[in-house]
Amino acid sequence: MIDQPQNDQFRPRGSVDASSALLPYRGPWSPRLAAHLLRRAGFGGSPAEIGAAASAGMNAAVDGLLDPRPDTLPSSPQGDLTYLPMAPPEQRRDAYLRAVSWWLDRMLQTPNPLIERMTYFWHNHFTSGVQGGITPAMMVVQNRLFRANALGNYAYLTHQVARDPAMLLYLNGNQNRSQHPNENFARELMELFSMGVGNYTEQDVRESARAFTGWIVPRDGASSSFVARFHDAGSKTFLGHTGAFAGDDVIDVIMGQPATAQFMARKFLRNFVYDDPEQELVDATAGRFADAKYDVAALLDTLLRSNVFYSDRAYRSIVKSPVDLVVGALRTIGVTTSTPRVIGAMNGMDQVLMRPPNVAGWPGGSQWLNQGTILARLNFLNQLVSFRAASPVTQMQAMPGMAGPLAWIAGVSQTDASAVAARVLDLTVQSDVTDEQRQSIVGFLTTDGVGNPVELNGENIDEKVRGAMSLAMALPAYQLE
Amino acid sequence: MSSRRQFIVQGIGAFGGALAVDSIFARAARAASQVTKAGAVANRCLVVVNLQGGNDGLNTIVPHGDPAYYNVRPTINVAQSDVLAIDSSIGMNPKLASLKALYDRQRVAVLQGVHYPNYVLSHFRGTEIWQTAAPESYDTTGWAGRYLDKAGLPADNLFKGVAIGPLLPKMLVADKTDVPAIGDLRGFRFNGRADEQAQADRILMGDGDRYPFDSPYLQLVQEVERDARAASSKLPHLVAGYKPAVAYPKTPFAQGLNLVSAIINSDLGTKVFYVSIGSFDTHAAQRPRQDALLEQFGDGLKAFYDDLAAHNADDRVLTMTFSEFGRRVEENANRGTDHGTAAPMFVVGGGVKGGVYGDHPSLTDLDYGNLKWHTDFRSVYATVLEGWLDVPASMVLGDSFTSLNFI
Repeated sequence: MIDQPQNDQFRPRGSVDASSALLPYRGPWSPRLAAHLLRRAGFGGSPAEIGAAASAGMNAAVDGLLDPRPDTLPSSPQGDLTYLPMAPPEQRRDAYLRAVSWWLDRMLQTPNPLIERMTYFWHNHFTSGVQGGITPAMMVVQNRLFRANALGNYAYLTHQVARDPAMLLYLNGNQNRSQHPNENFARELMELFSMGVGNYTEQDVRESARAFTGWIVPRDGASSSFVARFHDAGSKTFLGHTGAFAGDDVIDVIMGQPATAQFMARKFLRNFVYDDPEQELVDATAGRFADAKYDVAALLDTLLRSNVFYSDRAYRSIVKSPVDLVVGALRTIGVTTSTPRVIGAMNGMDQVLMRPPNVAGWPGGSQWLNQGTILARLNFLNQLVSFRAASPVTQMQAMPGMAGPLAWIAGVSQTDASAVAARVLDLTVQSDVTDEQRQSIVGFLTTDGVGNPVELNGENIDEKVRGAMSLAMALPAYQLE
Repeated sequence: MSSRRQFIVQGIGAFGGALAVDSIFARAARAASQVTKAGAVANRCLVVVNLQGGNDGLNTIVPHGDPAYYNVRPTINVAQSDVLAIDSSIGMNPKLASLKALYDRQRVAVLQGVHYPNYVLSHFRGTEIWQTAAPESYDTTGWAGRYLDKAGLPADNLFKGVAIGPLLPKMLVADKTDVPAIGDLRGFRFNGRADEQAQADRILMGDGDRYPFDSPYLQLVQEVERDARAASSKLPHLVAGYKPAVAYPKTPFAQGLNLVSAIINSDLGTKVFYVSIGSFDTHAAQRPRQDALLEQFGDGLKAFYDDLAAHNADDRVLTMTFSEFGRRVEENANRGTDHGTAAPMFVVGGGVKGGVYGDHPSLTDLDYGNLKWHTDFRSVYATVLEGWLDVPASMVLGDSFTSLNFI
């Protein structure tokens, strides 16, 4: 094992000490842990960003993530992303691609990676997707809501989501009328967005659905409005509270339930720390979140500085989602703008941004890994680093900002295979490799396709570095964050 | 997390040897299968066809004897004179002539009025429900994946299930089985030049104990990467001996069935295949679009079974269709139909007892404009699991469902 902090280290393999798990980490700081922080709290750091975070120290690096800098990136995609119900597929596809490209470009260029990370978190929590009457324009409206509240207050955001146009269509809120209540949103609000199953009854679902009646989405889909005559103004009894509740009152009741802080604490831990957190750790985290009155920045401040976040158990314990993998790879090699091909490649990895598979979102973990998606992942990475403008075989388009192989190994002797291998492994997996794997990369750099020795030189260095990068990105460690 | 598959795949270092062994094995298996009675359980397989997008059942199996049909479908109906009549009340869309020919040879079961309780009208959720066989929960595995995990199949077979297409459908997602998804043979490969390929396998052979970190997913990533490398490098050689006996149509669906036939006839021990055709999401201008797709479906299936028959394999291949939903009974203002509920399923080939099962749902006794279903699709799955694949259906479906008698 690599050098390890001897004190203040949360050791989850033994008995769980939840109190020390959330205490500030005071162990050694390294580029390896800086890269870990930037993978979890953003979409991976560029080599320069990892270096800066490593020099700054843990606390300064987390301060920087939590203290947003001015953001001059476009706040919306270019052009009109609305369309009518009978719009041709090409128009729908074009609008979809522009919306997702805009978001991916934000992930690539943002000065505030934690905000983009949390925007994605909320997208996979308060799920909606492009379908039927839900246009990319509406998903962008929702995306901006998530970004504006990325580090804000979870309770406040829940109130806003309940009247978000895309959400009203996705979970049939716009069809929820006093005469014909539709329970879809009320049920998922409790099951997936706040408390989890087992903390409410079917009667609570029916009563709260009545409270949410009256919201409609006008034809333009740009906003929502409340129509009093569609609202059921009668008395409702919900989780033991009785009154002439509206939807906002129901959300207030939900926010007072201990189950809500528990459910959200588990979700934050699964996304930021590891995906099977102990109940004691969930309890401690839920306590912090409730004490902070659902302030997300305060919770992340605790988690991102915690012993458990930097523990062995957390390190590379999460499977990279396609968006993590793709945006992370692009950032590593210096690409700043996405292309439709990138979005297509993510489809092949089974993630269609702004179109999750169902209201439960992407389950993550082992669900990302099968032969088809692995093939898509490794082939995308290979194409990415192999790309040459003159190459007729590649399907990649020109990638703005992509630094070439010589930039990836800047400062390293081009004839020293061990040094080149070390740089490539450092860039891609922070040297999280076995000796055999390292030897394989060296072997690749010093042999040809049939095993004859070759020497690295100005003739072959470009090809060999590209190949070594592609192999390093095929390492199992590269699929984990 | 689940630990998926525990076995060692031969590396590329032994590729030449592995290839020779595989070829000999495949030939031996083929010879063995020829002396086994066709249709014996061990040799049977299932092909599941997804009519993706929501196929309109009313214009597939047309209730031409019911005047109500012509009332609710004034512009997009199939004229009575065009219907390929099964009897005086129902018949097939004329573009299903190939399927009708199979039907007339008792090779097709038409199951009417199939769906599930508390229907949803979403493509995504609807598809997931049919593929997980779990209308009331968000399951992480598919029904066929659970079958592959639990049926006691040889653990070291890389091809227990095969999905045709670039993405693994939910139906074949399993806890312990990695099912390859193959768009086409040429695309099912890892990119990379020869020198990259030569090292790639060594790269994946890292000893888990020697990593400078531990991760609950490390083993899984390695296994899936190795499986994918092994399957993609071996498959083209394993099926190289197959020659189609018919000219398959040049449609993606028929080409997919051609690959299925190649794998079946190479005796790789594959038990479940997935193929899809679509999109049947005909909100506007339905007739030309759906007719063209139904023709591709029927013609592709006929070529497939003709080819299988020529290879003496048609009796051991059962094909079952599904679609996430049928469509609204009444046509819309755009000469199309919106999302609906019950629709017919087809079960073809194998040991099927040809004929029509279940009544056509009423066109006047409706559920908010949608057909009322009478047969739960899990009963159909249960019949296939028990009657064809010879496993207890409850092992896969959780609950028990009434078996039907079409096998």
